[in-house]
Amino acid sequence: MECERLRELDAELALGVLPARERAEAVAHLDRCPDCREHVERLTAVGDGLLALLPGAEPPVGFESRVVRALDPVPTPKRRRHRPRLAAAAVAAALACGFGGWAIGTVVEAAPPPVTQRTDAGLREAALVSDGHEVGRIYTHAGDEGWVYMSVDLGGNGRGPVRCLLVHVDGSTVPVGSFPLKDGHGYWGAPATTDPATLTGARLTAPDGTLLATASFPTSH
Amino acid sequence: MPGMWRMGLSLGRVPDEALLTGLTTGDPELAVAFVRRFQRTVFGVALAVLGDPQLAEDIAQQTFERAWRHAQVYDPRRGSVRSWLTSIAHNLAIDAVRARRASPLDPQDLDALLGTVTETPERRALADDSAERVRRAVAELPREQARALVMAGIYGMTAREVADTEDIPLGTAKTRIRTGTLKVRALLEAAEKR
Repeated sequence: MECERLRELDAELALGVLPARERAEAVAHLDRCPDCREHVERLTAVGDGLLALLPGAEPPVGFESRVVRALDPVPTPKRRRHRPRLAAAAVAAALACGFGGWAIGTVVEAAPPPVTQRTDAGLREAALVSDGHEVGRIYTHAGDEGWVYMSVDLGGNGRGPVRCLLVHVDGSTVPVGSFPLKDGHGYWGAPATTDPATLTGARLTAPDGTLLATASFPTSH
Repeated sequence: MPGMWRMGLSLGRVPDEALLTGLTTGDPELAVAFVRRFQRTVFGVALAVLGDPQLAEDIAQQTFERAWRHAQVYDPRRGSVRSWLTSIAHNLAIDAVRARRASPLDPQDLDALLGTVTETPERRALADDSAERVRRAVAELPREQARALVMAGIYGMTAREVADTEDIPLGTAKTRIRTGTLKVRALLEAAEKR
């Protein structure tokens, strides 16, 4: 397929209504043609914009609890499979997306040893601060299925990678991973086993160790 | 509700992306917060496409299950969590509609939906700018292009199906879909530059 032919099908492709065979040919063209790819990506905003105009509607009573029940993986042996699945999905995502912004799981190996009991302290939030200014927020969720998430805007300070370390009450630091920035801005989340009794804060550093931002979690009690 | 507040932090204030990350941990409280935040949007999309509340509920539930299974591949650079969920719900709803579409689209449904997506700004004074721009752009299209765009973009109808429904040649249906889409894109880009 040539560019001219692709452009005839651009809208149907962007709206997802191209019949399978033409779609396959068009996608093959996009794989090797950055200009057409960008063009079609811009058109997909029209379809997304249309869907955003659809009015919300209240689902039937009981919907929420039915969904949550369906999402609950719980039996413990099953839960243990989560991490490897996350890791595999993360590799696929990183390959597909070209970078590891949401490559959850790639840092599991670096996570601290799991605590065996889930604690009740749950979710914690703190400001990421640089030179006295808030540059982002960090959230942690405690327990052996815990996670850490942050969003940060370091202004013009480049592309990263930014390294995240969790700081404990005894002054020790544990790396949880690193993530790239785009124009100084980035989001990142990863599984991380945290114990709110010992976790006191976080540090973001540049690859050369320069401190970029710090966070202090409010004390538990 | 017990547990809605943890360490003084309401789950209602947690960013969408953080809730999505939390969803994968299997914490029921985070799952409830996530579903509660997005259920109106997800069910609304499914209902608009399917027109059948029972089927829409199935699709909405599948949407959350899919989001939960694939949370790791969500890429914030490609759009918000809400638009990601919307597109999952839309794809599932279109698949369901294609699996069972025996009768053509009800013209009344199309007219009603077209009215919804182009309704006058006065009724939407608080809507966000980007949605408002899309709404105005669709409202500016000639009626037949807006119909073709909604049939393809929301109901997931192919150009052949649009042609059959409108009783027009396939080439005309393709032109309407394409012209409508490109015009909306051009109007959006003009509005973004202003």
